[in-house]
Amino acid sequence: MCTRSVSAAGGADRNRPRSLLVGLELFNMEEDEFIGEKTFQRCCAEFIKHSQQIGDSWEWKLSKDCSDGYMCKIHFQIKNEPVMSHPETFTHGQTCLPMEEAFELPSDDCEVIEAPAASQVIKYEYHVLYSCSYQVPVLYFRASFLDGRPLTLKDIWEGVHECYKTRLLQGPWDTITQQEHPILGQPFFVLHPCKTNEFMTPVLKNSRKINKNVNYITSWLSIVGPVVGLNLPLSYAKATSQDERNVD
Amino acid sequence: MIVVEKFGHLVTGTQAYIHLLLPRVSYLTLVTDKVKKHFQKVMRQEDISEIWFEYEGTPLKWHYPIGLLFDLLASSSALPWNITVHFKSFPEKDLLHCPSKDAIEAHFMSCMKEADALKHKSQVINEMQKKDHKQLWMGLQNDRFDQFWAINRKLMEYPAEENGFRYIPFRIYQTTTERPFIQKLFRPVAADGQLHTLGDLLKEVCPSAVAPEDGEKKNQVMIHGIEPMLETPLQWLSEHLSYPDNFLHISIIPQPTD
Repeated sequence: MCTRSVSAAGGADRNRPRSLLVGLELFNMEEDEFIGEKTFQRCCAEFIKHSQQIGDSWEWKLSKDCSDGYMCKIHFQIKNEPVMSHPETFTHGQTCLPMEEAFELPSDDCEVIEAPAASQVIKYEYHVLYSCSYQVPVLYFRASFLDGRPLTLKDIWEGVHECYKTRLLQGPWDTITQQEHPILGQPFFVLHPCKTNEFMTPVLKNSRKINKNVNYITSWLSIVGPVVGLNLPLSYAKATSQDERNVD
Repeated sequence: MIVVEKFGHLVTGTQAYIHLLLPRVSYLTLVTDKVKKHFQKVMRQEDISEIWFEYEGTPLKWHYPIGLLFDLLASSSALPWNITVHFKSFPEKDLLHCPSKDAIEAHFMSCMKEADALKHKSQVINEMQKKDHKQLWMGLQNDRFDQFWAINRKLMEYPAEENGFRYIPFRIYQTTTERPFIQKLFRPVAADGQLHTLGDLLKEVCPSAVAPEDGEKKNQVMIHGIEPMLETPLQWLSEHLSYPDNFLHISIIPQPTD
């Protein structure tokens, strides 16, 4: 099923060593929801390239020892405003929006008529890191008011959009919790990767049928982002990745 | 290990200290109910908010096992380990909140799941029933070794045709880096079937921790307060020296000069 190679183990004939593999091979992305770290970094680079073209503010940050990095974006939002405010593209009930509809949402510029009170503005900081344990990207975030006061876990759970609330309430402690950022060592909220894997595969399969070149990070972030207030402008979906084969 | 908890903000007499014996494998907020109750007797209600712990100015991460914190921060000091208890000014930027026992359980189970993702692609832990997960947690919480190991032994098995787990769950800690820990994919068995050792792991993921062959030993590599020989197979360490969360938590600390 997957094209992952394995190092020689259990074979009956130990006298004939097979080739040595170092590191993790790329899984066949048509079938599995996993990606290798190199692919993750490449997809992030493409994603950020598009972000720069449209003035969305994603950046790549290197760890201090330069051995790895993550994507980062800061975003301001007015509290109590609905996360997805476009009525026509909203589906009722507990199902999350299919990816195609998620892309029809307007981009995130809040057109504010009156200046909101400072106490109502929340600063969100989103980080996309790679998990080698689960071999998927993971979304970390923190949120605070403008005076620096951080939001609590309860605030975050309460702020999750109605569309996702039911799924959250089935197991909030398995879904969004506070954890230590693996690179910065500071408290962040995390969307648990084992939960997101449950709904990644079928969506990925379909999206690849529609457009083979959709960036993995774009697909993944368009699914998990809205759960925690992060929406992607439609143009990310239309940006095709460069014509590269899976070289690694 | 004896811990003296010194109440830092109120200068009172005999009530400012409390001695406790804490399990290395547990977590601070799980075993300090007595501490809360003790100090709440001598404080005004309005002065009490979330409890947190500090050692020599460093806030202590409750989500790290107690033994790891001690090895990393205080192993070269004399016992008892003097920790200061706080009920005010929670350091939001440094510490995770611990709103309830549920938070500790969620953290513990999340570590166990990640360990099994590395060892067995999550197959063993996902096949367990919810009550088995509960039993792991209750075993830890109530310090019931047999209750815990009745389930945990399944997480220490591997297929007969393999020589070990898929990858070894480990984290390497040093106080000198911004990064809280090093965690990478590392197989217990080499392609030729040889078992990788602790020394092999360090050379690969943390070469600065290991002294050059004829150089002076600069660091101690510590797990559970001891320095295992670097020739020890990593698979064996993972099966026998992991913490209850199934991770090997390894401290790299400067060689004490005495």
